[in-house]
Amino acid sequence: MILHSLRAAHWRSILEPVEIGPFAEGLNVIHAPNGTGKSSLFEAMRCALFDAHIVTGKDIEAVRPWGRSLAPQATVEFSKTGVRYRIEKTFLDGASARLLRLEGGRFVPIADGRNADSMLREILDATDAPGRGLSKQEHWGLAQVLWAPQGTLKLDSLSSSVSESLRAALGVQLTGEKGTRLEVLLEDEYLSFFTKGGKLRTGKDAAPILAVELECAEVNRERQRLLEQKRSFEEAARAVEDARQRRAQARRDAEGLEEPLAQTRRLAESFQRLQSDLQIKRQAEQAAKERCDSIGRTIELIANARQEIARIKAQIERDEAVLRDVAVELKTAVERAEECRWRRDEARAGRDSLKQRTAEIEDAREFLSDTKARQILGTRLDKLRQLESAVATLRQSRARLVAPDDTTIREVRKHLAAREKAETKIEASLIRLTIRPQYDAIVTRKSPKETKTVRAGEDATFAGSPEVSLEVDGFGRIVASGPEMDVEALREEMAGAENKVAKLTQPYGTQDADRLQLLRDQAKDLDQKIATLDGQIEELVGDETPEDLQRQLAELDARILERTGRFPVWKNQPPALSGLQSAFDARSKEIETAAVQAEDAFEGARSGAQAVEKRHAETEVGLNNARLNLEAANRRLDDLTRDALSDTARREVRKEALMAWEVARTQAGECEAKLAEIGDDPGKSLEKLERQFETHQGAEAAARDDENKAEGRLQTLAAEGAYSKLAACDEKRADLEAGIRREKLRMDALRLLHDTVASCKAAAVAAVAAPVERAASRMLARVAGPRLGTLRLTGQFVPAGVQPESLAEAVGLENLSGGEEEQLFLVTRLALGDVLARDERQLVVLDDVLNATDTGRLARMLVLLEEASSRLQIVILTCHPERYRALEQATFFDLVRPA
Amino acid sequence: MRFLHTADWQMGMRAESVGKVADRVREARLAAARRVVEAARDHKAEMLLLTGDVFEDNGVDRVLVRKVGEILRCFAGPVYIIPGNHDPLSPGSVWEHPVWKEADNIRVCTRREPIDLDSCVLFPCPLREKYSSKDPTSWIKAHDASKPAIGLAHGNVEGIPSGEPDYPIPRDAAARSGLDYLALGHWHSFARYENSQGECRMAYSGTHETTKFGERDSGNALVVEISRRGAPPSLAPIRTGSLEWRSTEHSVSQPLSLESLVQQLSGIAEPGSTLVRMRLDGLLFPEDRDALKQLDEILTSRFLFGVLDATGLTPAPDGEGWIESLPAGPFRDAAQKLRALASNASDPGQRAVASQALLQLFDLCERSRS
Repeated sequence: MILHSLRAAHWRSILEPVEIGPFAEGLNVIHAPNGTGKSSLFEAMRCALFDAHIVTGKDIEAVRPWGRSLAPQATVEFSKTGVRYRIEKTFLDGASARLLRLEGGRFVPIADGRNADSMLREILDATDAPGRGLSKQEHWGLAQVLWAPQGTLKLDSLSSSVSESLRAALGVQLTGEKGTRLEVLLEDEYLSFFTKGGKLRTGKDAAPILAVELECAEVNRERQRLLEQKRSFEEAARAVEDARQRRAQARRDAEGLEEPLAQTRRLAESFQRLQSDLQIKRQAEQAAKERCDSIGRTIELIANARQEIARIKAQIERDEAVLRDVAVELKTAVERAEECRWRRDEARAGRDSLKQRTAEIEDAREFLSDTKARQILGTRLDKLRQLESAVATLRQSRARLVAPDDTTIREVRKHLAAREKAETKIEASLIRLTIRPQYDAIVTRKSPKETKTVRAGEDATFAGSPEVSLEVDGFGRIVASGPEMDVEALREEMAGAENKVAKLTQPYGTQDADRLQLLRDQAKDLDQKIATLDGQIEELVGDETPEDLQRQLAELDARILERTGRFPVWKNQPPALSGLQSAFDARSKEIETAAVQAEDAFEGARSGAQAVEKRHAETEVGLNNARLNLEAANRRLDDLTRDALSDTARREVRKEALMAWEVARTQAGECEAKLAEIGDDPGKSLEKLERQFETHQGAEAAARDDENKAEGRLQTLAAEGAYSKLAACDEKRADLEAGIRREKLRMDALRLLHDTVASCKAAAVAAVAAPVERAASRMLARVAGPRLGTLRLTGQFVPAGVQPESLAEAVGLENLSGGEEEQLFLVTRLALGDVLARDERQLVVLDDVLNATDTGRLARMLVLLEEASSRLQIVILTCHPERYRALEQATFFDLVRPA
Repeated sequence: MRFLHTADWQMGMRAESVGKVADRVREARLAAARRVVEAARDHKAEMLLLTGDVFEDNGVDRVLVRKVGEILRCFAGPVYIIPGNHDPLSPGSVWEHPVWKEADNIRVCTRREPIDLDSCVLFPCPLREKYSSKDPTSWIKAHDASKPAIGLAHGNVEGIPSGEPDYPIPRDAAARSGLDYLALGHWHSFARYENSQGECRMAYSGTHETTKFGERDSGNALVVEISRRGAPPSLAPIRTGSLEWRSTEHSVSQPLSLESLVQQLSGIAEPGSTLVRMRLDGLLFPEDRDALKQLDEILTSRFLFGVLDATGLTPAPDGEGWIESLPAGPFRDAAQKLRALASNASDPGQRAVASQALLQLFDLCERSRS
């Protein structure tokens, strides 16, 4: 690319349109002082060439001149592959783009708007379009190598497309035209399967193998489903077979039971029938037996009844004779008992007289006791009365005596002490003024008002507080004063104490504490005596009251009076208790002896009579019972003989019944023997066998159901033809897998071919890049001398370090000085520019570079630039045009003062 | 008496090795079945004996079962079939299909019991499961038969290489059982077993249509004739198969050797019914690249089925023509590396990939010149 002219307006500091050109195809130097828009001009060129006209964002907004609403504009004229173009772009407000081409001596539009943007990028081989915001270096295509904006001379990295371009440029040199075509074909072939990164292509242009693999995966899923279906088919077949086996086994089991079941059933029926017969026969036997027994019992009962009747009759006769004898005996015993009773009563009458004497003795004893108690009680009552009289007297004395208690006395003493203390303090606080006039003098005191005549030679003392002021007639005033004290407060304190004393002692008529204490002691003494007498009274009375004692005394008097009423002699002569008792004892013994004897005789007679009476009653009862038994025996006999048969006839009937019983017993025995032959009840076995049979039948039915179900399912599955589908699926799968294998072989081969060619080419590129390294190293040596040795580039054509001849290992760029570093990068750019300019002259832009380079090296660098300008168009932007004046072939453009 | 013995029709079998022509291979088996019936009719066979594996599996499409039934129904005489290990008599088997009851002349033998016919007694040995170690003919007691006794069995005759004993049949099963002839199935190739007197009383008819590559003496049915009880039977194989399965392997050591293979393939008479599998190994010379392509084209386009496996070929190490035809520089370097890899890599897969890469390089190179 060759730059022809550049125009910018409304771009940062450039307000008015600035146009520079036409540029020379060799060296160009644009110079202007700082801040006049050199870099802005370069920026405008970059934006015009690489940025979309509709770009937005803060970066492009920053381009707008400060404080103005102007739309930045840029126009660039350039040539590429011999064709001359002009691009016109306006950014932000009214954004527009127009690409024109020089045709027939005039520029003709060939694209506008977005088309202009994209066509321009294609022309410039800047394939990596920017995203949002302004373009960055990686979007500039080859300009990444060729253009160095202010402060970015250093080459850190290059975009892959530029590296590719460099490699491509070098590759063309390596493989020639034929090799390039082959390489393109290989690359096209490779990219039809893989991405540039070596991954399989996906999406719209996916590698064909992916579609086949997808199809194969689908077929595999279908195959799994069919395998499952086939497995289900086989399982269903097995299930049918199992069910059939189970059904057959159940059938066999049931059939095996049929014969034993029939036999057992027949046996059970026989057993049942025999049991029934046996029951009937046993019942007949029992009936015959009962009839036989019944007749036998009747005959026996008749005989028994007859014997019993005879026996009862004999008994009745015997009892009637006995009863007559016992009646006579009873009469005699009763008469004797009546006589003994009379004698006993007589003896008991003597006991009544003893009772009277006993009562008299008791009365005498109680009379004596009451008399004694009356004396004691009288004495107690007399003493009680004396004590009560004494207590009454003491209580009257006590009532008359008014005395304080101990608390009151303590209070009185406390307040008296307080009053004395206050008096003492008052006394101490008074000013005492004693005067002794030589002559009688009338002394007047103002406060308190007092007038006193003091005799000559006598002392008159006046006390007061806080001062004592006296008017002495004929003398004048005398005032005595002392330290001020609160006498009034002390007086109030004393008055308070006096009031309290007065209040406390008012009932007792004295404020003398000792007197009050004496009253207290007297009261205490009286209280003590009263308490003592009360104790004595209480002891005398005990739990009783005097009234109780008085009542007891009255009762005793009443009882004594009542006895002396019955025994008047006792009034004068109290009874002799011992004499009365002796007389009583002698009489008592005598009467008691007679009474006991009579009572014993009576008891004996009465017992004898009762025994006879009892025997008589028993005999009578026995006789009555015998008569009743006789009636019952007669009725029973009547009942037993109601058949009106004779005894002989009845015996004949019994004989016939006995024979019938024997027959029935024989028949039952025969039946029982048959049952014994069968043994245990076959019903249980039959029941068990029937249950087994039913179980087998049930199992057979269940197996049949299972079989039917499984068969239904089996038929459904069989109709599916799973194997045939699976076979078709397997065939398709095999075909697809074979296709995948073939395709994979093809792809693996293609990848191997691509990678092998790439590695060989990389080796070749590395070999070809060596001249670039050498060219750059030569230039560097011409500028900086041989010290730095050989420049080393990375695979991405970026300087990695230098290899001084004296050192075995390369030296990193960080070890170079700032000037050497910028010289190294500049020569690298020039060397790479040489590579890229093989087919077409290329534009190199250097914005404010070589600032750290000393004058000597700068001069040598300018020589290099002049040499490079034979292959490259070089545009230098600088604020130091004098540094480049040595470039004789250069065209200079003064931005401030255009030519 | 004369009858036709056939077996192992394997109807509905899968044919993975032949890819997309599997359906045609299966159709061919049905056509071959029709030819069997025609052969029986042409040779005036009294009956048709099918000794097992009529179907590949009990799960085959029921339409196919009916088709087979209808084919056999066309035979005028009786048809006796025993289920084999591929189509054993089990629930849900093909033998439950109604077509067998609908056809009056077909009898599927489901019991191991003699079938007394006018001219002979049959002793069928139907199989009920896929695998068994029991001799299926052991029940046969035909010594007292007054008419020719013919057994129908399916299994492995002793001596046939097989893993576990699977339905083993003694080599003297016919003599041991008193049979005049034991018609066998299971082995797909025609095989006859002669006794010490040189009489053949038991034979495999083989499958009526070849089932896969490498199968020997298959695609036949047997016409068997027995004059009387005790007389040795006469066996005549009749060709019934229509497909030819060719599997060839060639080792290339000289340049231009592949040309002859192209000629061979071109000379095959009925390519439309021929399936070919060709394997090549040895050296691939630059001169043979066109022939190799031609072989592949002929195989894939002319034959019913054809496949070429050339992964065993490696570029000839001294074939400098490979390299000289390429542009000088990285491509030649890459070709040399690939050729070395194709010749020297220990992994055959890697060798094949390298060979293929080399071929692709030359293809691309030719395209770049055009």
